[in-house]
Amino acid sequence: MSDQVPEVSVSPARKVFLSGASFVWVIPLAALFIALFVAWQNFNSRGPLITVEFEKGAGIKAGETELRYRDVTVGVVEKVGFTDGLGSVSASIRLDKEVGPFVDNGSVFWIVQPEVSAQGITGLSTVLSGVYIEGSWDDNIGGEADTFQGSSEPPLIRPGEGGLEIAFRTVANGQLTDNAPILFKGIEVGKVGRARIAPRGNFAIVEALIYEEHRQLINDSTRFWDTSGFSVSIGPAGAEIDFSSIATLIGGGITFDTFVSGGGRVSDGTVFEIFPDRETARNSVFSTSEVEPLELSVIFDENIAGLAVGAPVELSGLKIGSVEALSGVVDYDQFGDSRVRLNINISIQPARLGLPDEVSAESALAFLQNRVASGLRARLASASLLTGGLKVELVMVPDAPAARLTGEVGSFPILPTTENEMSDAAATVEGVFTRINNLPIEELLNAAINFLDSAEGFISNEDLRETPGDVRSLLSELQGLVSSEDVQGIPVSLNATLQRVETLVATIEQQSIAERLSEVLSAAATAATAVETSVEGVPSLIAQIEAVAAKAETLEVNELVSELTALTRSADAVVGAPDAAALPGSLKRALDELNYTLQELREGGAIENVNQTLASARNAADSIAVSSRDLPQIVNRLTQLFAQAGRTIEGYNKGDELSREAASTMRDIQKAADALASLARTIERNPNSLLLGR
Amino acid sequence: MGTKVCDRCGHKLRSRHPMSLQTVWAFWLMGLICYIPANTYPMLRTQTLFQVDESTIIAGAVEIAHHGSYGIAAIILFASVVIPLAKFWAVAYLAVSVKNPTRVSNQRRQLLYEVVEYIGRWSMIDIFVVAILSALVQLNTLATINPGMASIFFALSVIFTMLSAQAFDSRLIWDVQAKSGGSDAA
Repeated sequence: MSDQVPEVSVSPARKVFLSGASFVWVIPLAALFIALFVAWQNFNSRGPLITVEFEKGAGIKAGETELRYRDVTVGVVEKVGFTDGLGSVSASIRLDKEVGPFVDNGSVFWIVQPEVSAQGITGLSTVLSGVYIEGSWDDNIGGEADTFQGSSEPPLIRPGEGGLEIAFRTVANGQLTDNAPILFKGIEVGKVGRARIAPRGNFAIVEALIYEEHRQLINDSTRFWDTSGFSVSIGPAGAEIDFSSIATLIGGGITFDTFVSGGGRVSDGTVFEIFPDRETARNSVFSTSEVEPLELSVIFDENIAGLAVGAPVELSGLKIGSVEALSGVVDYDQFGDSRVRLNINISIQPARLGLPDEVSAESALAFLQNRVASGLRARLASASLLTGGLKVELVMVPDAPAARLTGEVGSFPILPTTENEMSDAAATVEGVFTRINNLPIEELLNAAINFLDSAEGFISNEDLRETPGDVRSLLSELQGLVSSEDVQGIPVSLNATLQRVETLVATIEQQSIAERLSEVLSAAATAATAVETSVEGVPSLIAQIEAVAAKAETLEVNELVSELTALTRSADAVVGAPDAAALPGSLKRALDELNYTLQELREGGAIENVNQTLASARNAADSIAVSSRDLPQIVNRLTQLFAQAGRTIEGYNKGDELSREAASTMRDIQKAADALASLARTIERNPNSLLLGR
Repeated sequence: MGTKVCDRCGHKLRSRHPMSLQTVWAFWLMGLICYIPANTYPMLRTQTLFQVDESTIIAGAVEIAHHGSYGIAAIILFASVVIPLAKFWAVAYLAVSVKNPTRVSNQRRQLLYEVVEYIGRWSMIDIFVVAILSALVQLNTLATINPGMASIFFALSVIFTMLSAQAFDSRLIWDVQAKSGGSDAA
């Protein structure tokens, strides 16, 4: 290889345009052209840009949210922003070129969101894909527009959904919601739009659509009624709940029927009335349709509870209206005092008055004015005895003071009133209730509570609890004492002794002895009386012999008994009779013999023996007297004892409550008392028997 | 310089490619133009059940970095951004250096040229990844991955850069030495 560079022949270059340019430059140029063409084509195929203003964005996203027409995408939101002043959301939508011309000034746009309603679930696809904007326009190219007001809800009538457009007027508070169905024999033949309040505010207007294929079902005698909610009826067949469908139960619904044939065709825009139920709807066919009600004011002097809003207003027993509002009114100027009066507003439906000519509020007012002049008055009357509800009655009052149905401008005409008629039954019932009301139940209960409290305190007293036991033991002792043979033997011994003494005394006519005996007798009588008094006091004694217990223990009854017994013995000894039973009979003989002996011994010294005997007898009598003197003391002691027991029991009585123990005690006392009583009665019947033994 | 024809194959014999630099610049420009949409348009269109995700190369890398995979993000950025840009710079530098004196030795520039030509084909790895993903992940509504507009432009960009590098006649590097007459090669 030689590094000799070959000779280079240099020739003048012919400068031709682009002769030095490489062919490869075609490629970038081609690319440029292609890019320009694509750009142009892209721009050329773009549709118009429209702006739709919505109240709320509801999830619209630029570049994602689509505009759909009949569920086909015809545009995309390019930009989301706000209108001037942030008043609303504006979405700029790039339309497809082919639909652009159709989006004219009659187009409607709304945002489709998932919605769960009684009629079903709509827009479910938007849960995953996000919301989209649905557009609706007709198939005619109309006036151009590029700014639209988006609506918040789908239009009632969508393109291609022709039908009969009617409207409903309702005064009831029907729960009609958007898209509530209009059913006919259970089949949905239309739907209801959004309810609006009529400009005057006295009823609601609802737009509705009857689908095209059901248009012939409606004529001008068709009556619509509300099937919202459900009705419950209880009859011989049992309880019955009736509702049309779940949808109407929740969202409300309307159904209709044509009760009479021969109605004329209806055109779009006809206004129908919605009746609350089928019966009303049926009846309305034969009566004049209701017009604007006549509002009246009625002022009653008395404010009687029981009148409520919605209470009927009746004329001759026929309901012609209802109470609209209740309020109190104080008007010194008008009534002359400051009493609160009942002011009610009633609305009267002129159609119910059956006026012959034009049916309107004015004609009804004129009619009522005429009637008021001839004595028509309003009064409150009982509507129901059970509930005490009241109604307003319009009645003819003969000889009523002159009055007119007048009203100031700007207020309702005031209907004159007359005396209220409350039914007697209501008044009676009211009286009964008043009386029951007035019963001092509170005080009674308080007293009872107090009584029970003190009774409880008393019964729970320790002393008192011990009392019945003490009383019973005392009484059993007492009973044992009384029923002891010694005591029971006392009268017998006494009798026997005293009999002898009496016989002796009577026979020998010994003055001093007799006097002493007399003293003894009176003392015994006193004792007996005391016993009697005691016995009389037994019922009260019965209750209480508690304190007796202690004293009864120390009572000297035993001593008494032994003393008496000793006395008896000494008496026996004094009398010295060998045969006690034969003594009375033989005494006379003995005395005769004594007399004889005395006569015989008048000259002898036998008298001295007699004197000695008598002295002995006197001593014996003295002893008896001494004993007798002790008896009243014993009796007194017993009396005190019983009195004390009586007091105790009296205190016990105050408790007004006897425990079972006390009751058994009482029975014991009763027994003791019976024993005492029988003893006492014996003595009382014949006090002398104590001495005489008879 | 006359043109001769090979006796065997009939190919024109040229000592240098005619208009080599023009071709280089033309393809270089095309590559650069294509590289712009390759970065602005989404590379992948990932459609899962509820959402559609489109991300450009850089945004995707940044997103991956946000998830903590800094290594992968670095690889993506390196392979898809740094290398293409470096290639653009290298080709342009070589083309310019042929005409203008430079301090870098001929041997180094020759090495740079060879590296660029070697690396060029590996830039297609991005496109391969996109192609494989798109082919594999086609589960209808569940998850779908489609190549985005950027993938086409990226591929074009790589292709044009490779063409540009190939169009460069490496002998031009040495012509300068011949012209200057000195041998300053190391």
